[in-house]
Amino acid sequence: MLQPKTMTRLLIVGSKEQMSSAVTELYRHHLFHITDYTDQGKEGFEGVRIGQPMAGATELSTDLIKIRSIENTFGLTPDDYLGAPKRPAASIREIIERDLPKIEEKVSNLTAQRSSAEARIRVNEQRIAELEPFSVIPLELGLYHGYDSISVIAGRTSRDIDIPVPHEKFYTPAKSGGTMVIFFKNGDRSAVEEALGNAEFQQIPIPAEDGSVRQKIDQYRSEISTLNAEIAEIDRKIETLKSENGQFLAACDEVLSADVEQAEAPLRFATTELIFIADGWVPTGDVETVKSGLSQATGDRILVMEAEESAGEQSKPPVEYNNPDFAKPTQTIVDIYSRPKYDELDPTLMIAIIFPLFFGIILGDIGYGLVLLGLALGLKRVLKGETVEHLLNVLRNASISAIIFGVIYAEIFGAHPGALDIELWEPLLSRHLLIGSHAHHQGDIAVLLVFAVWLGILQMTMGRCMGVVNHYRHRDMVHVMGQVGWIALMWGALLLIWSIAAIPLMPDLTMLPAVVMGLNAAGIIGLLLLVAGTIAVMRESPLELIEIPSIVSHALSYTRLAAVGLSSVAIAMVVNFIAIEMLIEPNLKELTVVGIIIIVVGIAVLLVGHLLNTALGLLGGGLQSLRLQYVEFFTKFYKGGGEKYKPFGMKKRLTED
Amino acid sequence: MDLATAIVTVEMVEASQMGMKALGAGLAVGLTGIGAGVAEMGIGAAAVGATAENKDIFGLALLLTVIPETIVIFGLVVSLLILF
Repeated sequence: MLQPKTMTRLLIVGSKEQMSSAVTELYRHHLFHITDYTDQGKEGFEGVRIGQPMAGATELSTDLIKIRSIENTFGLTPDDYLGAPKRPAASIREIIERDLPKIEEKVSNLTAQRSSAEARIRVNEQRIAELEPFSVIPLELGLYHGYDSISVIAGRTSRDIDIPVPHEKFYTPAKSGGTMVIFFKNGDRSAVEEALGNAEFQQIPIPAEDGSVRQKIDQYRSEISTLNAEIAEIDRKIETLKSENGQFLAACDEVLSADVEQAEAPLRFATTELIFIADGWVPTGDVETVKSGLSQATGDRILVMEAEESAGEQSKPPVEYNNPDFAKPTQTIVDIYSRPKYDELDPTLMIAIIFPLFFGIILGDIGYGLVLLGLALGLKRVLKGETVEHLLNVLRNASISAIIFGVIYAEIFGAHPGALDIELWEPLLSRHLLIGSHAHHQGDIAVLLVFAVWLGILQMTMGRCMGVVNHYRHRDMVHVMGQVGWIALMWGALLLIWSIAAIPLMPDLTMLPAVVMGLNAAGIIGLLLLVAGTIAVMRESPLELIEIPSIVSHALSYTRLAAVGLSSVAIAMVVNFIAIEMLIEPNLKELTVVGIIIIVVGIAVLLVGHLLNTALGLLGGGLQSLRLQYVEFFTKFYKGGGEKYKPFGMKKRLTED
Repeated sequence: MDLATAIVTVEMVEASQMGMKALGAGLAVGLTGIGAGVAEMGIGAAAVGATAENKDIFGLALLLTVIPETIVIFGLVVSLLILF
């Protein structure tokens, strides 16, 4: 529950002959979190080196790279084949040796063909681009070259240019710049170039080809379409290969990844000439499984020790969450902030309850809640992946809570059911505003704000209490007293306020008789708590004193629970008012053509407005309540920064032993 | 005659009070919104940059980014208290 799984440190020592079977066994269990050995040349560790990869690691890696490159060509990932029937790993290994070279050859042939076809298409496109300007000149291509005493210049220009020497000129204007071709005597070249240089003339190369320009272009175009058909054919072949071999490749990927990881495991061990030592962590409940598995696999020729914690050595066990199922999705939210440390309270369970609660308080609407619930359930079918699934589960819980608070607030898309003259139930807590003529209740805003502050006071007190537990574990009494001091400060201030002013939803202590200086008994207790708290906080660190006003700002920060919710109610009510009362209703009485158009506009306003408000509600409700956890709650006790528990091995998804 | 004028004036004063309240509430949200925006601008930019360098500090970066945002919540609360 509020604690990560307890871990036991295991030292596994054996002769190198046993290494491979031990590694396979550890991999199969998927429980052992390896602490990488680092060669620091410390005293007492002479002769201990980082291990060498096992025989065959290089070949396995090469095969894996081949498979990944084929997967890349096919555009597939092993995730695409989740849920397919599992294949036995041994048969996969056989097929890899037999079939992989063939498949690889086929694929590389096809990709080579495709890239050569693509290259030819590019060449043809280039030629067409060169020929295109000449298609408007009434000359065959053969006439542009093969002269002894005559030169030709061709180019693009937007206007006709006068040439001061004898010449033959063809000019066809066009929108995107016309084409001009000039034939002149070799001797006049400088004069022609000067004339052209002064005008906006952009010279283009003359294609060294014969025959009609049109025919040439058509010929290249038909070549391109042939090549495109060729590429489509190749793509079809690749697609066939993919559907034939995709699942096999995904399984190969899994088998080889596992083999490579196992073969490279010794790189994380400490080894000497004869033995290897693997250092790591196993959840305490699974120690026996690992021990008996290892001794069976190696015929009892391996030593597994549970390492005792020595006082001087600070070991950092990896952290694995230990939460009931309904709280598991929330682990992602805590992970986004930071994984808890091993000796720290894990707040996941609390967040799993409080986050949906706050989300519900902010959004609190049956309509929006149902939309978001549908969204969460719908996206769960489409999107895959662990993190996404967890976040969608959190959204599901949050929207259920929003529906429940919608019932409490009696709100459906911002409106009270009474707006349609359906008197079902009265809101337990109203946030309705007087917008529009159907408006029913005026929410008691002050009560809502105080309710939110109460939640803040309770959550912050809980946070400080957890801080007390965390510091007490380290027997750090100064900090324990500091945390208690913060609690005293907050409740002292509250008592003082209660004794002076009456606030709705809060105890009214102003009735007590005054004792000294106009303060009554409650006020004096509050004052004493304040002073004691200040002293305790000051002993922790005098600098902390400047943080004291944060009690007020953090408590007021919780008013966002009411305020953000109210703004979303206001938007919803305004949308309803504009769409229904201003646009739709007046036109329903007398149907005219214009009226029908206005009604359609009204329906559009209604839909777009509520869509926008749903998005805002999701964003506001999610981010604001998340922020209250991260900023106002976590800062009281939570540090995080624990190492993630990554057991050696992986879950087999596509293959089985 | 005089009485009628006086009644209208009282109504006008009441209406103008409402208007002033609405203006005040709008200013409270709007100005604090600008304030929070200006404050978060620099922090947010730096936080995104830092997170791009190292994803692990996302939690801290988010925390620092949203600190000034409380101002606008205060503005919202004040405006609600003005209006109701």
